[in-house]
Amino acid sequence: MKKSLALAFLIFLFAVQFMNSYGVQRFPKPEFESGYVQPETLLPNPRAELLAFMDMGVLILSLSVVTWLVIKKRSRNGVFWMSLFALAYFGFYREGCICTIGSIQNVTLAMFDKSYAIPISAIVFFVAPLAYTAFFGRTFCAAVCPFGALQDLVAFSPQKLGTRLNAVLGVIPYIYLGLAVLYAATGTDFIICRYDPFVGIWRFNASFGTFVFGGLLLVTGIFIARPYCRFLCPYGVLLNWTSRFSRKHITITPAECIQCRLCENSCPYDAIDMPLTAKNPDDKRTMGRKLIFITFLIPIFMLAGGWTGSRLHEPLASVNAKVKLAKQILNPVTDKTQAETFEIEAFKSQGKQQAQVFAEASEVLHKFYIGGWILGGFIGLVFGGLIAGQMITKHRTDYIPNKGTCFSCTRCVDYCPVKLAHLTKDIII
Amino acid sequence: MATKTPPEKTIKLLQSIAFAGAMLAFVLCILISVNYFQVKSSDPLNSPVMKSLIEKYKSNPDDEQLKAEIRELDLLARKAFFTNKWQIRTGGYILLFSVLIVIICLKSVELMMVKLPSVPDDKTDNFWDLRKINRKWVAYLGIFLVCISLLFAFLTHTKLGETMDLTANKGSMADSTQTNANENLATASSTVATDSTTKTGKDSSTLIQSLDGYPTQQEINTNSPSFRGPGSNGVVFQRGFPTSWNGSGKNINWKTAIPLPGYNSPIVWNDKIFLSGANATKREVYCFDLNTGKILWLTPVEKIPGSPATAPKVNGETGFAAPTLTTDGRRVYAIFANGDLIALDFEGKKVWAKNLGLPKNHYGHSSSLVMYRDLLIVQYDQSGNTNVMAFAAKTGDQVWKTSRDVKISWSSPIIVSTGKQTEAMLVAEPFVISYNPATGKELWRFNCISGEVGPSLAYADGVVFSVNDYAKLAAVKIGPTPQLLWESDEYLSDIPSPVATSKYLFLPTSYGMMVCYDAKTGEKYWEKDFATPTYASPVIADGNVYQMDKKGVMHIFKADKTYTSVSDSPLGEGSVCTPAFAGGKIIIRGDKNLYCIGNQPRP
Repeated sequence: MKKSLALAFLIFLFAVQFMNSYGVQRFPKPEFESGYVQPETLLPNPRAELLAFMDMGVLILSLSVVTWLVIKKRSRNGVFWMSLFALAYFGFYREGCICTIGSIQNVTLAMFDKSYAIPISAIVFFVAPLAYTAFFGRTFCAAVCPFGALQDLVAFSPQKLGTRLNAVLGVIPYIYLGLAVLYAATGTDFIICRYDPFVGIWRFNASFGTFVFGGLLLVTGIFIARPYCRFLCPYGVLLNWTSRFSRKHITITPAECIQCRLCENSCPYDAIDMPLTAKNPDDKRTMGRKLIFITFLIPIFMLAGGWTGSRLHEPLASVNAKVKLAKQILNPVTDKTQAETFEIEAFKSQGKQQAQVFAEASEVLHKFYIGGWILGGFIGLVFGGLIAGQMITKHRTDYIPNKGTCFSCTRCVDYCPVKLAHLTKDIII
Repeated sequence: MATKTPPEKTIKLLQSIAFAGAMLAFVLCILISVNYFQVKSSDPLNSPVMKSLIEKYKSNPDDEQLKAEIRELDLLARKAFFTNKWQIRTGGYILLFSVLIVIICLKSVELMMVKLPSVPDDKTDNFWDLRKINRKWVAYLGIFLVCISLLFAFLTHTKLGETMDLTANKGSMADSTQTNANENLATASSTVATDSTTKTGKDSSTLIQSLDGYPTQQEINTNSPSFRGPGSNGVVFQRGFPTSWNGSGKNINWKTAIPLPGYNSPIVWNDKIFLSGANATKREVYCFDLNTGKILWLTPVEKIPGSPATAPKVNGETGFAAPTLTTDGRRVYAIFANGDLIALDFEGKKVWAKNLGLPKNHYGHSSSLVMYRDLLIVQYDQSGNTNVMAFAAKTGDQVWKTSRDVKISWSSPIIVSTGKQTEAMLVAEPFVISYNPATGKELWRFNCISGEVGPSLAYADGVVFSVNDYAKLAAVKIGPTPQLLWESDEYLSDIPSPVATSKYLFLPTSYGMMVCYDAKTGEKYWEKDFATPTYASPVIADGNVYQMDKKGVMHIFKADKTYTSVSDSPLGEGSVCTPAFAGGKIIIRGDKNLYCIGNQPRP
């Protein structure tokens, strides 16, 4: 009986959550003597909290289903249909918000700003894909992320980019991640959201800039598969790192590789590591020396990057609202015909002292100075790591997906004759 | 002849559809881009044609055909603008649809055309050579990025941080210097005030006017030169006023009909009473004899240069003559709803006149005039153009004009001596702002009010009180860095103004409540419901608060911590105006008549 009552109470609470909260007009509308009739005020209903839990549920469920389809079923069709679902739900229905990629900023801001209350959904959207990736590889990228799903749809004629371009362009996501963290940590902006190329498509209200940026990415995506995921996505950096530790990552072949080379060109993302039998021309001693050298170089890279980043703190901080306002106060509009900016108007209406604004701006600049050192140091470390990474490699005898860059899209598995043989065997049996 | 198999035909068809869809998408992209730039570059409401038509209309406001032409052009421009917007949006939908078709077709083709995997040619690239090249390219990229970043940093470096630090420190110093300067100025002002008082003390028996062309403070205090008395602050510095009367006889000295309607309150200087009246076509200034009630003169306000030909639209509760007049004992000054500002001598002759521009005011202009020395202060907070101005009393020349970053308002300025200096305090959303009345320079401001502000400020003992309906009642300690002492939103006023002493604040509401607060803490001492709407503002005189209600009953009660009624004296007709107190008499403007109430029986 008690249990039933508790259950009924819970159902009631959830039902209440679903009810829309209606805003109440606090002030009466002004009356116009001209006979103008006020239009009816439209109040958008706040989204029920329970729906946020539904989003989290859908995310976990999608991750589970996609992981099962990738690891157990090795089904490209299943992954394709799930990617369409992700496109419909997280893209068009949820209008790209909440977004796993953007959640980096929520988490960062929560770490640096005690007054910011991070929504539970942001934490789940940040952590869950990483958790799945740590065990099963980037199944999130395969068919749960709407960004990937959309780009995957248009990858009709993917071309190989070559290792050089892949290596060079692969640096961009690290820089983007560093900048996104810097701007979120200083409370300046959520640049991932601001420059989200596809949000205008989800919401049918793209600004012209977004329209051009998103359109270019999609057109590029016809020939260079998933350009955003590979060369921009800051969350992809975290997934790349995490995925390297995954034990149950997808394999191309379900059994032993027979070295048929049929899968060699199957990956549109250049994410298949080929067998490596060629011997390193450097002997072990030379390699060791080179590695020690680069290890010593990495701190120098970090220092150089940090110093360069610190020099950039002023232009980096110039988009911060406090710095912008201080600059506008310092350089007021002298042309009387020009209207004052909204920032100046707002400042005047606050009755704040100018000195206070300058002090605040100075504090922000100092944060950017420190942030510039950290950002530059991080980028230096990335460069050092990438160079060192190009020196170290394991000998491989089979064709295997690169755990860091593979999106687990399962295209390659269909090329494997071993899979076909297994299927035929099953049918005969 | 070989015939194509059905899948091949289907594939061809799908490819053709995809091609057509892609072409459509391409064309749409171009059209949307062109349309976007069209919308972006157009400013339909500020086109040269529109501007020239508006200019023409300004010089000829009676031209109905021109008005219709402007409206038509305006509508056309808006229609064109929104049609373009609609085209972009619709184009976006079609674009999305065509891309969807392309994707479906090509995906279907992909499914139908099963490609057999092929074994690529043997590669000759050496893995380790490629790795070496990669390392080099990454290193080159790193060097390139550092160079570009440093170049950018060098080009954009402005020593912003140092400038900010320096400016912040300077700013703090400037603030403290400003405070010191204000204190010095205050000391100086206070010295001047003392001198003035001393001088006035010597001359008080004869009420000699000062030599520099403006009245002494004592002269001002012994008269009622503006709305709500001296300084427009609602506090009267004289004693011996009647506390009871009856419109039908008791203590009514005289009663005279007022020719034209108006909601301005009477002002008094020695034995003369001034007020104004107006309707849509006529504007007049009246001078009544304080002793007999006789109209001494009536001056029509007409032929003012720049005066608009048509009357402004005003609210019935504001009318065409809402602002109260003011006087410096030499001239009397009046302003009307159409922006006409006039100065008359005490014989009713025009000294100077001008039009300040038709006020953009949906209720009608109602801010009253006030004097500071030989300057006429005009609060002119109109829609989109909010100013406070000072005119030379003698010539009408504009001495200063300060633009105010506030919303339109209907309140009136107050002139108060803070003990350190004299300040002109004005209120309008969102600020109470204090100005130096001699220069118009802003002294301080405080953000504490919102909405369409009607009530004027009340000031006492270093604290200014602002109130407005749907906003808050705020008590602000004045100074270079004003501080909020307390606030309340329990009772608010939209028309009558509050009045304060150093201990108490009396707040009337337009629905007839009177509330008494502790002026310093905001503790509510009492509230009294007079149950009759009230538009007139209360005045404190001789320890009593006089509050007129709309039915014409003056509620007189002690200005004290507990409510003690002195009397409720009926006038016999309705009134929305604030009474004037001077020479032991109370002058009340009723709906139709002007009353003089004095302690001596009716002659």
